[in-house]
Amino acid sequence: MNRYKMLGWKFKPVAPKQAIRVNVMNVEGVNVVERLERLGFKLEKIHFIERGYWVKRSSFSIGATIEYLLGYYSIQEAAAQIPATLFTDLKGKTVLDACAAPGGKTVQLADLMDNTGVIVALDVKSRRLNALANQLERCRVKNAIVYGLDAREASKLGVKFDRILLDVPCSGNFAMDKDWFKRRTIDDVHRNARLQRQILAEAAKVLKTSGEIVYATCSLEPEEDELNIDWAVKNLGLKTVEINCYGEESPTEIFGKRLDSSVRNCRRIWPGETQGFFVCKLERQR
Amino acid sequence: MFASLKGKGENMVETLESFAKFFGVKISLNKNFVRKGNRYFLLDERLRALAKEISGWQFAGAYLGKNKNGKFYPSSLLLFMITDQAENKIIVDDKAAWLFVCGRDIFKEGIMRVYGSKTRGAYTLVLNKHGECLGFGRITENLDEAKEGVVVENVSDIGDFLRRERTPKQ
Repeated sequence: MNRYKMLGWKFKPVAPKQAIRVNVMNVEGVNVVERLERLGFKLEKIHFIERGYWVKRSSFSIGATIEYLLGYYSIQEAAAQIPATLFTDLKGKTVLDACAAPGGKTVQLADLMDNTGVIVALDVKSRRLNALANQLERCRVKNAIVYGLDAREASKLGVKFDRILLDVPCSGNFAMDKDWFKRRTIDDVHRNARLQRQILAEAAKVLKTSGEIVYATCSLEPEEDELNIDWAVKNLGLKTVEINCYGEESPTEIFGKRLDSSVRNCRRIWPGETQGFFVCKLERQR
Repeated sequence: MFASLKGKGENMVETLESFAKFFGVKISLNKNFVRKGNRYFLLDERLRALAKEISGWQFAGAYLGKNKNGKFYPSSLLLFMITDQAENKIIVDDKAAWLFVCGRDIFKEGIMRVYGSKTRGAYTLVLNKHGECLGFGRITENLDEAKEGVVVENVSDIGDFLRRERTPKQ
């Protein structure tokens, strides 16, 4: 908690709100919000996400409706809805979702692409691949191809990508796990940060010249966030891009270390309206 | 009767076309139709090229269904694809719709409208009052004659997603 204070945030316990995202590709002529409200759910528009709603009241699980089974919406935490929206011009593109399972963001990408182009979705764990396939099936995604492959081996595919989503494995945050402080050590954070750098390096290899990478974590630890982006800018020939989204500008001095000034383009989301989150958009340096 | 829904050997096109025929729908599948293990997918040109070039994919394009123990189980996407053209369909009320996606059979009282066959043994799509396909079933009692009780047996429904998530081994 002291680390967060050093980054300028005063710790406060939070209870994240459940959120949904409407899959526009599946709801032509259907007013999903109205139908859910008729079932007794109270929804509130998420002010920073076009297709997102917070579930303010529910008498039963939001995942136990026919509308959910029909793929009309996905259950997706509000901050987690941000990364896919940061790409420009997704339709018809070749997109890599490097750590795709359980598939919430893959479905969101398909929705934003209106099922055009190609999404190559990777995940390394076979059990998680089943969850991913279930999501794709439920939401009637038609433009994805799924491989059981480690994101650190993406270049084995021999494909160059226009857009790459790196929703990398991370340490998580206390807002989503009440025992987080008991269960995590700084060694875990460092281990994840190393893995994330390896994934970033592989993504840089398979990115087209004019391509875009969106890097996201649900970690509040700078080693997994700003420090990794600083490293990527200095070592991978990437640069950060200004983004206009919910969250605070990232600090460029962390625990006494001065970072590349462009790291301020990243967004750090402290827990409050959402869980803790970090997001950044990268392009090749020209 | 259920046995007649079996996939016919290795001929995946025949399996799907004969499935659609049960509901009075004629579908023709093009060359972009592929089988992966016991599952069937429809791929566009770009996906097909990718799938051919990079083997080992686990899921791709539009998922149409799977063969399990010799029986064909359609995906919700395939059911959506045939809904408009299907001759055999029943519209059910909200309560029957929810019970159906929970894996239950349909009672006579829950049926609001019947299109096409009302004859025992026929297969019919099951739609909610919004016209959305929730799965399909087999008529177990002539719908003109039955007064109450179970009249359509649940064969496959979209609630399978939830049941699969709760039983990870399946």
